[in-house]
Amino acid sequence: MVGRVKFNVMSDAELAHMKNRMEQLLIERGIHLDHDELLKELADMGCQVNMETKDLKFTKELIDKAVAAVPKTFTLYSPSGKYDLEFPHPEGKFYTRTNTGAPNYRTVDDETHYVKLEEVDEWYRLTNAMENVDYVTLPSTSGEYVPGDAVDVYTLEKALKHSAKHIWIQPYEADNVQHLIDMAAAAVGGAEELRKRPIVSFIACGVPSLTFKHMDAEVLYRCAKAGVPVQPCSLPTAGANTPVTAQGTAFIASAEVFAQIVILELLCPGLPVIATTLLFSMDMQSTYTLQSNTEITIARLIAMELFERGYNIRAHSYGTGTDSLTMDAQNFIERTNLIDAMALSEASVLGGAGQLETAKTISPIQLIIDNEIFGIAQRIRRGLAVDDETLDWDELIAGLDRDPAFSFLMSEHTFRHYEEPHRPDMFNRDGVARWEMNGKKTLTDMAREKFDAIMAAGDTYTLAPDKAAAVEEALKKAHAALVKD
Amino acid sequence: MSILNEISELVIKGDIANVKAKVSEAMEQKVDASSILNDGLMPGINEIGDRFAKGQVFVPNVLLSAKAMNAGVELIQPLLASAGDTTIGTAVIGTVKGDLHDIGKNLVGLMMKSVNMKVIDLGANVPGEKFIEAIKEYNPQIVGLSALLTTTMNEQAHIIEQFKEAGVRDKVKVMIGGAPVTQMWADKIGADAFTTDAAEASRWAKQYVTKG
Repeated sequence: MVGRVKFNVMSDAELAHMKNRMEQLLIERGIHLDHDELLKELADMGCQVNMETKDLKFTKELIDKAVAAVPKTFTLYSPSGKYDLEFPHPEGKFYTRTNTGAPNYRTVDDETHYVKLEEVDEWYRLTNAMENVDYVTLPSTSGEYVPGDAVDVYTLEKALKHSAKHIWIQPYEADNVQHLIDMAAAAVGGAEELRKRPIVSFIACGVPSLTFKHMDAEVLYRCAKAGVPVQPCSLPTAGANTPVTAQGTAFIASAEVFAQIVILELLCPGLPVIATTLLFSMDMQSTYTLQSNTEITIARLIAMELFERGYNIRAHSYGTGTDSLTMDAQNFIERTNLIDAMALSEASVLGGAGQLETAKTISPIQLIIDNEIFGIAQRIRRGLAVDDETLDWDELIAGLDRDPAFSFLMSEHTFRHYEEPHRPDMFNRDGVARWEMNGKKTLTDMAREKFDAIMAAGDTYTLAPDKAAAVEEALKKAHAALVKD
Repeated sequence: MSILNEISELVIKGDIANVKAKVSEAMEQKVDASSILNDGLMPGINEIGDRFAKGQVFVPNVLLSAKAMNAGVELIQPLLASAGDTTIGTAVIGTVKGDLHDIGKNLVGLMMKSVNMKVIDLGANVPGEKFIEAIKEYNPQIVGLSALLTTTMNEQAHIIEQFKEAGVRDKVKVMIGGAPVTQMWADKIGADAFTTDAAEASRWAKQYVTKG
């Protein structure tokens, strides 16, 4: 089927069971929310709130009201205006994003260290040039290079000035949230303009089980007030802070994300939201957190299906990544296995581009290769139409190929379709002789060449000077308010 | 098989109910409580620790065995009262101020308990002052500082400085850990130990408190 190939991993009965249990959990057990203003507003709206314990329970009516308010179509805007993202994707594709939260940067010369601020510039030059990467995150710049209290605001300044693509923001401190919103507003000409054309969206995270820290509650509250989209998130680790079963982990993560969506839609009906379940598991021998456990991949599919098919809410998870520490065979098996599964899921967004070491390291070379992998996965999702034209029925039934002079290479059908196959930009398609003659280049060699070319080409996008000055002014205010000696 | 060997085997299996039954039986037979501890329960937990180190069993096996051992210790505790605390040492652990991630720290606590350490868990988002109070109150041999973020790992350095100012730095060994933390960082901030995971943390702690 052309347009959208997908498979389901839950039966209708399983999907209905997940939905019922998730809603029951939020109604009967409820959540813990560390934010007095938010709790008061939600109590006024009819939630059952205990202000002393900061516990909150939803009602079925409020859940239904919130779900009904989730916009079925919306746009995440880009600073450049060239990469606006319409949801659902008009061509049935998924959108992609870079990895978030990695403390380490692996340079093209294979040196790994904490992320430096100048490497953030390099990163955005690359992402601007990646045709299959749709939006960006903030690299986790080290507190060694910028004030530790204001890492996110300093990194956002770079993003606003250099990223042509939509920016997904992860704040590090509750006090920083409003400053991050103010900086984004400065980049588009004010708060009202940001509400109309949100060039940023935010991450808020639940802590299993069903606990929302003040910082994340502040993200929900401030974004709802400012009309800034949120991709509410849960990052559970199966066996460590959620049930050891992948299903149980998908369930509790989905419930946390769903609770945030209900809160956001009650506060700001129609606010764009994307349900973001980023699932991990704990290895029961090493105790390390892993991304690539096979059951967890299936659990991601469950979560995508729960939101997309179960609620018609756009959903987002990992589409690439590895537990390998380097660009070895394990790395590429894990990331292509994941993207192949996720591309055929219901997901609207797949993330993690450029990451190694369970999302702890980002690599420009890996980002360039992920760009290729996403291109292939998008092609798989689009599927193939099966009809007489694509079967070449007319030429075959006419027996044209019986004629010794006939060549498929020269057929009218070939002339109509020869450009259709997807051609990854950097893959080898030569024989040994030419490959040897050209220096026996591997995929990573080709990625390095592409990196050098992109860097040599210089910036492809910079924010207009007046807007850049406004962002700098907002950064100064943020610095004065946030940075403690 | 002697009753003490049976107790060891049951600890290895993590069979809580039968550890209790067998320890009770040994007590009825007037087996010395310190012998039940040192020749029955402890060899079992040491064996499971060795198997874990060799990659032969999983973390839940270790935790189950620790539970089984503790069930046995509870029964003989009144008889050991004169001997005082039966744990091998004390650690104070916590996730540093500004950081709310606690999975790694919790695992370290569980694994330390599994080697019979007493663990005082201060929780997450813990300022240096709280660690100093705990050092003064519990007199631990080890303090574990956890941080998941590059922004909060600086707090590990800050807390070590606070320990110096409070005059408690030399009373404890400081162990650090967390996703962005490295041996280089440990050296830079003057930590005594960096361990890569919870199991290594418990091995280091056991080694230090038993052998120095």
